[in-house]
Amino acid sequence: MAARPRLGVFKLASCDGCQLTLLDLEDELLAIAAAVDIVHFPEASSDMDPHGRFDLTLVEGSVSTPAQLDELRAIRAQSRTLVAIGACATAGGVQALRNFADHREYVRAVYATPAYIETLAQVTPIAAHVRVDFELRGCPIDKGQLLELISATLVGRRPDIADESVCMACKRAGQVCVTVAHGQPCLGPVTHAGCGALCPRFSRGCFGCYGPRERANTEALADHMQAEGVSAASLVRRFRLFTGWSEAFRAESERHDD
Amino acid sequence: MTTEEERDHKQPPSAVELGADERVYKVEMLARVEGEGRFWLRLDAAGEVADAKLAIFEAPRFFEAFLRGRDLEEVPDIVARICGICPVAYQMGAVRALERILGVDPPSPGIRSLRRLLYCGEWIESHVLHVFMLHAPDFLGYESAIEMAADHRARVEQGLRLKKVGNAIIEVLGGRAIHPVSPKVGGFSRTPTVAELAALRPRLEAALEEAEAVVEWSAGLPMPALELDYVFVSLASEDYPIEFGDEVLVRGRGRDERVDVDEFLDHFVEDHVAHSNALQCRLRDGTPYLVGPMARLNLFADRLHPRAARALERSGLALPVRNPYQSIIVRAVEVVHAFATALDIVTNYTRRVEPAFVELPPAGARAGRASGGTEAPRGLCWHRYETDAEGLIVDARIVPPTSQNQARIERDLVGLAPQLLAMDHGAATRRCEQLIRAYDPCISCATHFLKLEIERG
Amino acid sequence: MSARLTHDGFRRLLEQVREAGYALVGPTISDGAIVYGPIAGADDLPIGWTDEQAPGRYRLRERGDRAHFGYVLGPQGPRRQLTPPVETLVRIRLGPRREQGPRTPEGVEAADEDGEPLALIGLRACELAAMAVQDAVWTGGPFVDPRYARRRERALIIAVDCLEPGELCFCVSTNTGPGVEAGASFDLRLTELGEEFLVEVGSERGQALIDGLGELAEPSTAQLFAARTQGVLAAAMELHGRERQLDLDGLPELLFANLDHPRWDELAARCLSCGSCTLVCPTCFCHRVEERAPLDAPTSERVRHWDSCFTDEHSRIHGAQFRPQIRERYRQWMTHKLGAWVSQFGTSGCVGCGRCIAWCPVGIDITEEVAAIRAAPVAPDDAEPVALPPATTVPALAGDPMHPQLARVVSVREELREVVTLAVEPVGVFSHAPGQFNMLGLPDVGEVPISISGQAGGELLHTIRAVGAASRALVALEAGDRLTLRGPFGSAWPLAELRGHNVVVIAGGLGLAPLRGALREMVAHPERYPSVRLLYGARSPEELLFADEILSWDRSIRFAPTTAPAVLESGHVKVHVTVDGAAPGWTGHVGVVTKLMRRKPLSAHARYLVCGPEIMIRFVLRELETIGVAQDQVWLSMERNMKCAVGMCGRCQYGPHFICKDGPVFRWDAIAGLLGREGF
Ligand SMILES: Cc1cc2nc3c(=O)[nH]c(=O)nc-3n(C[C@H](O)[C@H](O)[C@H](O)COP(=O)(O)OP(=O)(O)OC[C@H]3O[C@@H](n4cnc5c(N)ncnc54)[C@H](O)[C@@H]3O)c2cc1C
Ligand code: SF4
Ligand code: SF4
Ligand code: SF4
Ligand code: FES
Repeated sequence: MAARPRLGVFKLASCDGCQLTLLDLEDELLAIAAAVDIVHFPEASSDMDPHGRFDLTLVEGSVSTPAQLDELRAIRAQSRTLVAIGACATAGGVQALRNFADHREYVRAVYATPAYIETLAQVTPIAAHVRVDFELRGCPIDKGQLLELISATLVGRRPDIADESVCMACKRAGQVCVTVAHGQPCLGPVTHAGCGALCPRFSRGCFGCYGPRERANTEALADHMQAEGVSAASLVRRFRLFTGWSEAFRAESERHDD
Repeated sequence: MTTEEERDHKQPPSAVELGADERVYKVEMLARVEGEGRFWLRLDAAGEVADAKLAIFEAPRFFEAFLRGRDLEEVPDIVARICGICPVAYQMGAVRALERILGVDPPSPGIRSLRRLLYCGEWIESHVLHVFMLHAPDFLGYESAIEMAADHRARVEQGLRLKKVGNAIIEVLGGRAIHPVSPKVGGFSRTPTVAELAALRPRLEAALEEAEAVVEWSAGLPMPALELDYVFVSLASEDYPIEFGDEVLVRGRGRDERVDVDEFLDHFVEDHVAHSNALQCRLRDGTPYLVGPMARLNLFADRLHPRAARALERSGLALPVRNPYQSIIVRAVEVVHAFATALDIVTNYTRRVEPAFVELPPAGARAGRASGGTEAPRGLCWHRYETDAEGLIVDARIVPPTSQNQARIERDLVGLAPQLLAMDHGAATRRCEQLIRAYDPCISCATHFLKLEIERG
Repeated sequence: MSARLTHDGFRRLLEQVREAGYALVGPTISDGAIVYGPIAGADDLPIGWTDEQAPGRYRLRERGDRAHFGYVLGPQGPRRQLTPPVETLVRIRLGPRREQGPRTPEGVEAADEDGEPLALIGLRACELAAMAVQDAVWTGGPFVDPRYARRRERALIIAVDCLEPGELCFCVSTNTGPGVEAGASFDLRLTELGEEFLVEVGSERGQALIDGLGELAEPSTAQLFAARTQGVLAAAMELHGRERQLDLDGLPELLFANLDHPRWDELAARCLSCGSCTLVCPTCFCHRVEERAPLDAPTSERVRHWDSCFTDEHSRIHGAQFRPQIRERYRQWMTHKLGAWVSQFGTSGCVGCGRCIAWCPVGIDITEEVAAIRAAPVAPDDAEPVALPPATTVPALAGDPMHPQLARVVSVREELREVVTLAVEPVGVFSHAPGQFNMLGLPDVGEVPISISGQAGGELLHTIRAVGAASRALVALEAGDRLTLRGPFGSAWPLAELRGHNVVVIAGGLGLAPLRGALREMVAHPERYPSVRLLYGARSPEELLFADEILSWDRSIRFAPTTAPAVLESGHVKVHVTVDGAAPGWTGHVGVVTKLMRRKPLSAHARYLVCGPEIMIRFVLRELETIGVAQDQVWLSMERNMKCAVGMCGRCQYGPHFICKDGPVFRWDAIAGLLGREGF
């Protein structure tokens, strides 16, 4: 048998949820471990080799400290296919909310002694610094999509992950639209699918955790929500959440933030 | 010599700094824990501990700060992102505190039991992950569960199977195992149908039986000897504490106190220490304490589900447990408790519960300040929020379990030190790691990355 | 026959239907809407409930009576049951994992599970009309989807007259309601009158069910009058009086004449491109086909999913996205639904149900948009009007057109860098006409359309350039490997029509491949094709496809670097080759193909076949126009995203055409109005 492709899993600023998704593939984990050589995955193994070459590298988290930036550059240099996994890695994640405020003030809010903390001025997604071969969206990523990503990489194709609205999945699921039938604001129309329209299926509007889809017409949606009585402040909060630092959502929240 | 200012406190002492006969045990990057940290334990020439540090270098994420100005109804979603392993703990802590602010506490019995069910799912998922995938390899001498599977495939598969059932509970109630979407202030956005929960029943029954056997297996693992004296801290309520309780019980080393959750900060203090990106929490007088499975079991074994109590009995584990390595058995017992509790809830679910147990007061009448605690898999997780009339967060404080255990872990390393001198360096270092792992430290929760180094002088 | 049915009788009727072996699917309340779902019996119906609808808004309300069908329409029609949103087409057994690239197929199995037949309860007139439209799509030929056909044929239909049309209904405009007409396809028709139903039998199956209920009262004339005349007619009259109408008269022409109307831009500012309208529409049918082969699964599944012309992938091919803008996507939806549909399927795609209005999250109203364009049409611009073609006539394939056969690669010939010709041996007799294509696939990566570049004995040739995942995997195949094959599909070069004419073939790059079969035919038959000229352009000498063969057709040409043996020398073939750029040593022409065209005197009377990148085709046509070549003397081959190749996935649409079955070879005049137009 040929040498198995080498898999590395790295973490920057994040909650660990996306890499945990790999361990949540309970039915497939051992098959994955047989198909790829997991050479670096600290959350699961103390046998670590962060310096080798990786055929597939999964990077979770956003860049928030100078050390992470250095680490990311090194990881890129060692990786053939580098995939950003999750909202943090693809859009900055929840911690990028601090970009909208004075972050020195944030340091004071959480830690008693600010002098100990070293952070960059802005929290940024991975693609802001290095070339990314694929972005797997979601907060957290979907395990089916992760499996598809790994399967696709093994045969050398792009993962079959459609860039379409959450509404598409919502309608396929036969879910009743929460906006139309219940008047709930929903970011589904402008949000990248992948979650299977989870929030509408749980009777609530989408809050955009997969980030903007292509052609996200956030302006039209925001205007409509406003006409339906959603305040400007609430619009800002809605677009400024786990993927709030993505270009489309950031522009939209800034449009209502004065 | 490096001056104090230049020194990176999150790094172990470098060789230049070490005295000739000093020893350092260290691990630069702690594996099989959530998040990033390292440790070092430094012993001087006489074998005395000079320094024991659990350094957390995980990047800070500033949750409390960006919670300010958010609508209180957004808080459960936001705090879930503190940790991918125990998001439910944060969601439940937040809804407890916020519902107390809004004066809509306690929730209806139906919502309470669904919340407990959800939380059981998380205990199972998190504990099983830890027992099988993170901690067991230490006892059996493997680098990972995947490596362990080569010799113990059935065991690893069993772990995966049990974990999956825990995840399935969360998925049914909340849509996905990580960051479920249904929990909200005032109930759930959606509650499961009777059929959806009933479908879990056979899986829970089978899993419960397996979990009982896992307790025995865990009790049979080669167990390092260590006996330490602890102050145990846990939420207290009429049941074995999970998602509900308004008091904190502090017991051990001559203490026996009950603290109202709203007065938590009068009794516990959080400090920022140079070697950690997480705040360290101690009792007001500086005493480190222990939260988590061992504390819960030692304080509330009498409230275990009968099936868990029987499993505990069969395991032969003597209470109080003072050997941190035995926490793997304690977790296995708690897994039984969680499965049995979940099965009871599912069995008694004969009518779909209304998702919202109460109408929340309107904007304009949402000002207040309150705390809420729950027992995360790793121990007490305490929240306090202050809101303005519109329901926007003015102030938020969260004390996660791992920042409470941090100081205690360092103290445990000190307690372990005498044993290490007789071991070879590698084995001693591994023994330290295994000890740290016994806490299942969740560094993401503690808000930072941790690296453990033992220095041996 | 008609009869009266009490509420209890109706309950018993449903019990009978169930006992007869049908799975009951009927209206039921779920998540705040009345949806079609599995029901156990009459108790699950939304008794006493109605819906209120407005653009972008739907609410349930209690009626205060016991009406069983006192609501109008839920979010999705029976399309969901007849073409499930996610459906496995075939399962493919996989060979072992290989060192590189995807696994190859070892067997194909149909995936249809014949579950219980469905009893569809409560369908309205517009929904029956929508089913008729879907019948045309899935079974109207030349291809038949056996899954749809089977479900449809087995389904029992209990229809209901609409006596209280909803706020958004405009079925009188589309002539699809509100009453269920006698000739419509139902087994039983119900008219709800107060506390009872009038039931009308529409089939033998329906009759048997009614017979099983025992003695039923016959309706009085007064009751029949109340139901049909007062009830249905009054509802129709009321609908006629409404402001919301859709004037279908000349609508396809109107829309295609207004492709540049400012309303599209104005719409694009409001439309979210979310696709909801297309997925609630009971006649939409677009879908994508995905290959699912996780890790070491022993089989791969070919799965189809509902898709929409509002998604990015729908109009994307390697290297091009034809509808990047929301205005273009909305225009595609509307011009297809209300325009192209008529020529494709002989009926409008709109049945007046109002769903796309209600369930658009921002409340865009298609009737209003049409009215706005109708009220102020812009003069058709100087571009040619889009011709609406007659329905297609490509030959049908017997059996399931989505079920591939396993063909074997006999040999692989490397043509150019990253271009190979696979000689493939299909199972059984295979006949095709040059210009047609096959769908070639591998289970891990999916299927792609590839022209047949020749046939040699029992072997089919396919010349493929590795550009993306599927083509790369195909190019990497080796002799002896197997692959999935469906075909042949599409139209062919009009070889019969070309007989006796001078023919000029203009090809660019890999565009020569689909033409090779036709060229070989013409080369071999000087008696039929007195003069054949090939003008061929490639990027560089190294990129000249089939160089040896070309040289063999015309011994008078010589170009480095190839030295070719002349095999055939009939003299009736003339070849001119040009390259965009070349290293020294090249003795042939340099420059684009149109430059070559200007150098060679071309006849205004010849027949022209053109194939290559679309941009090249457009320049060639412009050149031909200046020479005075009429549009009916020119044929060209087009490319768009393809998933099904049989006119069902909707992706290859090019204005009113399906490239897969109306094309890929079109006569210029059929598509002249579309060529070069953004958004098609
Ligand atoms: C009628 C017809 C005949 C063709 N004949 C040939 C031929 O003889 N030789 C050859 O090399 N190529 C031919 N093509 C183009 C070939 O189909 C594409 O290069 C191929 O689909 C690319 O797929 P991919 O997976 O490699 O690329 P990707 O870019 O990964 O494509 C992803 C998917 O998009 C769709 N897609 C992408 N490009 C096209 C396209 N051009 N046409 C239709 N669907 C597309 C397919 O569904 C494909 O699976 C033909 C296309 C058509 C429509
Ligand atoms: S609920 Fe949201 S995602 Fe679903 S169709 Fe409505 S707007 Fe789209
Ligand atoms: S619906 Fe939206 S917020 Fe909810 S899980 Fe999906 S993408 Fe995330
Ligand atoms: S018209 Fe409405 S439903 Fe259709 S894509 Fe546009 S916004 Fe979505
Ligand atoms: S309609 Fe599916 S490819 Fe043409």
